[in-house]
Order: sequence, then structure tokens, then C-alpha cells
Amino acid sequence: MSASQLSLSGRMSGVIERWNALPIATRFFGLLVAAATIPFLTSNDYVIRIAGNVCLFAALAVALNVVVGYAGLLDLGFIAFYGIGAYLYAILSSDQFGIHWPSWLTLPFIALLGVVFGLLLGSPSLRLLGDYLAIVTLGFGLVFAQLALTLDRVELPWQEGVVINVTGGTNGIVKLDPLSLFGFQLSNVTHYFYALLIWLGIVLIIVHHLNQSRMGRAWRSMGEDALAAETMGMPTRRLKLLAFSCGAAIAGVTGAIFAAWQQSVFPQNFSTDVLITLYAMMVLGGISNLGGAALGAVVLSVVPELLRSPELARAIFYATLTLGLLLFSKPRRNGPIILISVIILGFLLRWIVQAAAPDLLTPPTIKVAAESISSAFDRASQQFGILVQGWILFLKDPLLPGNIAFVILIPALLGLSRMKAGVLKLILTIPAIYLLIFVWETRFAAEPAVTRLLLVGGLLVVLMIFRPNGLLGKRKIEIV
Amino acid sequence: MALLEFTKISKHFGGLQVIKDFTFEVNQGEIVSIIGPNGAGKTTVFNLITGIYTPDEGDIRFEGKSLLGLEPHQICQRGIARTFQLLRLFLNMSVRENVMSAAYPRTHSNLAQIIFRTPGFRKEEDRIRTLAEEKLGFFGNRLNGTFDQPVYSLPYANRRQVEMARAMATEPKILLLDEPAAGMNPNETQEITQLIGELRARGGYTILVIEHDMQVVEGISDRVIALDYGEKIAEGTYHDVATNERVIEAYLGRQHATRAK
Amino acid sequence: MEEFLAQLPQQLVNGLTLGSVYALIALGYSMVYGILQLLNFAHGDVYMVGAFIGFGVLTALLPESGPLLPSVFIIIAMLLAAMIGCGLLGVGIEWFAYRPLRNAPRIAPLISALGTSILIQNAIQLTLTANYRVYRTEKIIPLAAGFDIGDAHISATRALVIFSAIIMMIGLTYLVRRTKLGRAMRAVAIDREAAATMGVNVDRIIVLTFFIGSALAGAAGVLTGLVFTRVWHTMGFNAGLKGFTAAVVGGIGNIPGAMLGGMLLGIVEAFAVGFIAPAFKEVITFVVLIIILLIRPRGLLGTTAIQKV
Repeated sequence: MSASQLSLSGRMSGVIERWNALPIATRFFGLLVAAATIPFLTSNDYVIRIAGNVCLFAALAVALNVVVGYAGLLDLGFIAFYGIGAYLYAILSSDQFGIHWPSWLTLPFIALLGVVFGLLLGSPSLRLLGDYLAIVTLGFGLVFAQLALTLDRVELPWQEGVVINVTGGTNGIVKLDPLSLFGFQLSNVTHYFYALLIWLGIVLIIVHHLNQSRMGRAWRSMGEDALAAETMGMPTRRLKLLAFSCGAAIAGVTGAIFAAWQQSVFPQNFSTDVLITLYAMMVLGGISNLGGAALGAVVLSVVPELLRSPELARAIFYATLTLGLLLFSKPRRNGPIILISVIILGFLLRWIVQAAAPDLLTPPTIKVAAESISSAFDRASQQFGILVQGWILFLKDPLLPGNIAFVILIPALLGLSRMKAGVLKLILTIPAIYLLIFVWETRFAAEPAVTRLLLVGGLLVVLMIFRPNGLLGKRKIEIV
Repeated sequence: MALLEFTKISKHFGGLQVIKDFTFEVNQGEIVSIIGPNGAGKTTVFNLITGIYTPDEGDIRFEGKSLLGLEPHQICQRGIARTFQLLRLFLNMSVRENVMSAAYPRTHSNLAQIIFRTPGFRKEEDRIRTLAEEKLGFFGNRLNGTFDQPVYSLPYANRRQVEMARAMATEPKILLLDEPAAGMNPNETQEITQLIGELRARGGYTILVIEHDMQVVEGISDRVIALDYGEKIAEGTYHDVATNERVIEAYLGRQHATRAK
Repeated sequence: MEEFLAQLPQQLVNGLTLGSVYALIALGYSMVYGILQLLNFAHGDVYMVGAFIGFGVLTALLPESGPLLPSVFIIIAMLLAAMIGCGLLGVGIEWFAYRPLRNAPRIAPLISALGTSILIQNAIQLTLTANYRVYRTEKIIPLAAGFDIGDAHISATRALVIFSAIIMMIGLTYLVRRTKLGRAMRAVAIDREAAATMGVNVDRIIVLTFFIGSALAGAAGVLTGLVFTRVWHTMGFNAGLKGFTAAVVGGIGNIPGAMLGGMLLGIVEAFAVGFIAPAFKEVITFVVLIIILLIRPRGLLGTTAIQKV
């Protein structure tokens, strides 16, 4: 089999293998150094902020990996530790109670309290197996979110009429002290990015060391087969508590840094959406794979941001569509066939509607304001958009047809994906792709916020189906 | 004093009496086999010794001290290790790591030492590694070269050996082997018989074996105990037990028992 | 104390109403978990879709001129449409998001479920907008209708909810215990492979289980709409969570457990709202959950599976 006949997915696996084969120190420092250059490559605060977010979530994903991936404990309330750390920092470094501890005291203290809370949650959970553990931890997470919302009016039973505002309720706590480490006060995005990058590095080192030790082996043994591990002398109950505590401590400190960065904390920062995103990041990268957790953080932080800009979103959509068709069609030649057929179909349909009911159509709605567009890329993207809208059936009243097309599109795509390859599938793909473009232009582009979420959801499902072990994960066997 | 004393043990699950008033003991340096038809309760005996189940009545003593109420990992620390009837290896971990993981109870590095990779930690890691390779090396060339492969990639007989090595890595005084020859062809069965003998000779382990294959039982046992429906029906040398009428009846039915007479 | 006792019957009624809905949702969770050991996080969104289907049918049958059919038939139409629609949706979800992952590590279908949940929620938002819809229940069931038992007033709508839920649960119990199909379902739940070798078409049973579970969720959606009138695209999240909690409290995989858990949860929540503080109802509910699981780690009716080691 010649190299040119290797499938793309095969080639991708090859690249991944070669990457995994590099010594771990090389990979680690290489990536860290590469990341550290970001503030030098761009002065755009927005980009640096995203990079900072990636480091934040990567640290959380790695910590979550210890609990879920290594020790095999399905902790669905993990986000609460993150939140507790953040709120603790807020309480200890703001005017809320007039406490202003120095950072070198706060951070270790929060780490310690993280351990305590980890033990608190872990202890009752010891008796619970698998999915019961999941629900209790989930409950814990929700209770935390609720308490954050409602503890702004705490009445002390022993002091009449005194109402304490602990968490600030929906308004959260604001005007937090910035972090001040080694005499240096962190004051802008770039500072916090580096702080988070360094923190991520520390977390990776800690977790990696833990993994390559009796601790890590014991956790992984427990995750594989808790009964066998226990019988081979590993104290599973203690190990579970330890896993919870380590994860909680790391999450807590991460939360503190987050609070200092955002200079505030709000209950929405720790909602279930964030938890889901975190889990998705971890699974995307491949459970039990540290690099994967970080990669997942990158993908799920960057992709939604990319989709925020309509120009970029349009470019990504059409690029992905075209590349996807050209690269992943089996056999290869189907790709161009589909592409050309769709274009022809578009012209055909437009010609028919133009002849029969021209009032239905409307000229493209994208305006190109030559002066205010910041870059050639944006302008090119918009020109392309105008082109497509001129080609597709762009209707005056796109809402209802768009919705109907969307409703038809989903089962159509689902059905197609499960169909056996063949001439029929090829033929049916053509109108399906047209429908997809139609729905994009009429509905998705019009509502980017919803579309982003739709794509995230779809991405998760598709990813699980094609790579259930995550992007970087290795094939795993499970004892059921 | 016997190394392991299993005294008047009874155990039931719901309405089913699995073990009834069962007493036996194992002395230091012995190889004892437990035989009996399927469902006789043999693996339950192992589960009771290792603390997975608690007996309803009776006592289990190891080196004179009672094991009742202890958690399985504590029992392992006292010096009792076992293999499982249906292999329970850590499939996604490498061969080496499977064995190294069992050294846990004999190691002491704490979190700080691990995170900062102190010299104490490194020394201990080396020791565990050497220990694991030594135990794996017990099986000669059979496992050479596989140490870094994930266990799920190994053929069945090799997996059995890894599980034994893992049990040995806990540095026990007594080894409980649950059907070590199960699923093996005649060659492999020969090897296992030899290996178990060597385990005592070279390794110095006391061994308690559950086995169905009578050739293996004959080849290794100092003493044989026969179990049926949770009760002891015979005890003695292989020959005594193999020709015992009740034993034959349990395995083959009454007709054969009377014919053997 | 007096006030407590005076309020008690009314809160009980509220609790039973809420509990009926939760029980129906919990059943779907338990049934699916029983046969696939899968936590179907998209189940709550199926419930939400049911509520919307019911809304659609209600609106269609309630033009300005007045109801097109007698109330009873409208309600039946709503229920049927929602149950069939949601049943099919559930089957579709299983086929696309879970079936390819039957042999994947356990967390993969979990994430797939999460993704499906996000997909459904946002698909509804995209097509039907984020505005909430309101069931005009008063047009088919007069507000004043109802009857009194002691101090409690049971409105007709609430009575309907409780009654329908009970009928459905009786129907399900009959199906599971007395029919050949039910026996097959139980067999697959206990040991999939053994059932297959006994000639049970496992795939078909799985599809059926999803259909029934989702249909019940759809019915729950309609009933919720009738009583609480508001439906919106994220309502599935909370209700799904409660249903899931109820299933676990009762012993996940256990059908009577799901019914019991649902009712219990509903009552606890109603009491929390009525007697303590509405703001803390989530907290209280979960605290109760945790206490129950601490006392009985496998849920109220969950059996300790004796594993052969």
C-alpha cells in the first residue's frame, strides 16, 4: 500500500504516534515555550485572553483527569471545587468582609481548604458506586451553585436582625485584589496569561509525577479493577479520598487565580454549562491522557470563539465543507463530483424559482463597508458570502423555509451517515449538502450564538462516534 | 501453629448455604490443594480468606492472628496474596506496571516525596522496578520482551503468569492460586505444575491451590482437601482422596462410586 | 405546628402532582439504564420536546373560535401526539448517538448524550426561538373545576395529571410483569448476552425500551404544560435532573423504584417550597437525596447485586 493511498485518518494517527513518541520533557517544554511566545506574536488582548482561558481550562481538565481518568470516579460536581476556590479568594481579598490577605497566604490556604472539601465530598461518596457517585457529586455541584446564588442574605439565628451578605448573590463579589506574587502585582491580561501558563505547567508536572509513582499506579489500578486493586494491597478508600482531594486542591487554586484575573466572581461562572464544557474537553482529548486534556481545552475554547465572527465562521464553514468532502469521501473521486453537482443544482433551482416566482427571491444582505472592515480577509469572506447568497435560493422571508429545511436536514444527515456507501448514497448526498448550505445561509448565519452551541453539541456526538477514546486517546479495554 | 487456620466457617448468600462448618489448616511450606465439583464453594473460601466476604460463623487466623473484620488490603499486607479464577488484571496497564502496582503495600513514598521526586522516592522506584522484573523473571524467558506491552495484548497463558507475578510482588507468605491451570493445553499444564513446585522451592512460598485438573493436583500437592456443597468430604494425600468413595460420588455420581468399590 | 398541619394536605397534593411528572421522567431513565447501563442525559430534552408537541397540538385545536373538539379528546390528542413523537425521537437518538458506542468506554455515550442534549435544546431554540410558550389550559379545563378533600383543593388539572400518571404506571407495570414482551425486557436488563442466546431480539427490545421511556417523558411534558402552563427550551435540564435523581433514589434500573423515587422527590420538593423556602428547594432536595443514598447506597429499592468474584 503506497503512502498516497493511506487514508487521512491513518495519516493523522501516524502524526499522533510520532508526537507521542517524543520524550515527554521535550513535548512539555516545547509546548510551553511555544505558548509563551503568544504575547509576542500579537498585541491583541482578546487573543491573549483566549490563550489565558485555555490555560485555565486545561489546568482544570488535567485535574479532572486525575479524578475521572486515573481513579475512575465519575465526579460530576467537580466544578464546585473550582467555584469554592474562586469564592474563597473573593472573600479573602476584597471589601466584602474587609479582609485583604496577601496572595502568598491566600493561595496555599485555598489549596488546603480544597483538600478539606475534597475529603468532605469524598467521604460520604465512598460507599457509592459508579453512577450513584455521579448523582451525589452532581447534587453537590448544584447545591454549591444554588448556595452561591442565595447566600447573599444569611440570617444568623443567634443574632436577631443581622443579615450577612456572604456570596453577593446574583451580583457576585467584585473589585477583588489582584494577585501579588514575589513582590510583583499582576495587572493586565498578559501578566495573568503568564501566571496561568506557569500554573498549568506546575499542574502538569505535579500530575505527571503523581502518575508515574506508586500513587498513580494505584489510582489507575483502582480505575481498572477496584476489587483486584484492593486485594493486591491497595487501600482503595484512602486512594479515592486522595484523588478527590488532589483534584479539589488544584481546582481550588485555579479558581482563585481565575477570580483574581476576572477581579470578580459570579454564580454563572460555575454553572453546569461550564462543567459540561470541562468534561467535553477532557473526553475530547482522551481520558487519562494529559496532553489530550490540554488539547481538548484548546479545541473547545478556541472553536466557539472562532465562530463568533461571522466572517471567520463563514470561512470555516465553507472551508470545512469543501475540505471534508474532498478529503473524506470514499472513494476520493466522489468529493469533487458532489461539489460540482451541488453547484449545478443550486443554479438549476435558482433558475427555476427565478422563472416561476421571482418575488420570493431577494438580493444578498451582506453589506461590504469598505472602510470599516479591518482586514482583507474579512472583506474577501464577505465577498464570498455575497457570491453564495446570490447563488443559493435566498428568500425574502427565510424564517419558515429555513426552519423547515433545518428540520429535514437533521434526519437527512443522520440517515445518510448510517447508510451504506453506494450510488444511492452519492446521489442523496447532493441535495443534502445543498440543504445544509441553504440552512446555513438562512438560519445559522443569522443566529451565531445558537449555532455555536449547535455545532459544539454536534461536534461532541460525532467525535464520540468516530473516536470514542478521544482525539489522542489510545484504544482501551474495559472490564464491564 | 499452622500458618493459616480456617476454623468452622459457615457462609450463606440469601437462602443458599455456600460453606458449611468447614475447617482446615495450611502449614508453613506446604502445598495444599482444594478440589471439588463446580459450585462446591472453593472460590468462596478464597474470598473469605482475603476479606471480600465475611463469614457468618467461624474464625480465620493467619500466623495466629484473626483476619475477621480486616479490609482486603490489610489482609494482603499481612502476607496473603491471590490470583483470580477469571483473571483480573489491569488490562490497559503494561505488564511491568501491573506487577509494580502490587508493590504498593511495601512502599512508603508520600505525596511530597513523589511530587518533588526526592532521592528517597527515586531509590524506592528503582527497588520496585527491580522487584517487578525479578518476579516476572521467575517465569524464565516466557515473558521477556513483553514488559512494556499492555496486558490485553498478551496470550492467555502469559496473562496467568503475569497475574501470578503480580501476586508475588506483594511479597506474601502464602499464595492462593485459583485454578491456575484453567484453560491451558497439556504443554502449558505441564509447565504450570513445574512452576508451582518451583514457587515453593525457589520462592519459599506456602501455596494453597484450587484446581480441577487432577494431573496438576497430583503433581504438586502435599495434601488434598475435597469440598462438596460447601462441606469437607475428604482430606489426605492425593491417593487417599482420589479413591475416596464420597469424592468419586460427588464428581461422577453414585453408580461410579459403588463400581469403584 | 397548626399551620403545618393545615397546609399539609394541600402540599401533599402539590407534591403528588409534581411527583407524578418526575416519576414518569424517572421511569425512562431507569428503563434505559436497566438495559444499557447508560445515563441518557438527553432524556430531559425529550420531555421538553413533548411539552412543545403538546403545545402545538393544543394551539392547532384551539383557534379563536373555540375548541375544535371536546376537551377530553384534545387532551388525548395532545398526549398521543407527544408520546408517539417523543417515542420516535428517543428511538432516533438511540440509533444515532448510542448504538455506535455500545462497545466504547462507558464515558463515551455519556458525552454523546450530553452533545445530543445540547443539540436538541439549541435546535428548538433555533426553530422556535427562546420565548417561552404558554399552554392555554383554561380554555379546555375551567380554572374553577376541581374538588376538595378536607382542607386540600385538588384542581381538575392536577387530578388529571395524577390520574394519567397512575394509569400509565399501572400500564407499564402490567407490560413488564405480565407480558412476553415485558419478560424479554427484564431478561435483557439482567443479562443481555444470555437473553440473545435465548432467542430474544436484543436490538428490538432496546429500541422498544427507548420508545416507551421516551413516550412516558413526552406525556410528562404535556402534563407539565397543562398544570404549570409555561414551556421553554431549557426546561428539560432541570426536570431531567430531577427525574434522574428520582430514578437513582429509587434504585436505578428498578421500575417500581423510579415511581417511588419520583413521588418522593415531588413531595419533598413541594414541602420544601411550601414549608421552608422556595429559594432553597434545590438544596433541600439534594440534601435529602444524599441522606437517602447514605443510608441505602443503592437507592430505596435497589438490590445489591451479588457479584461472582
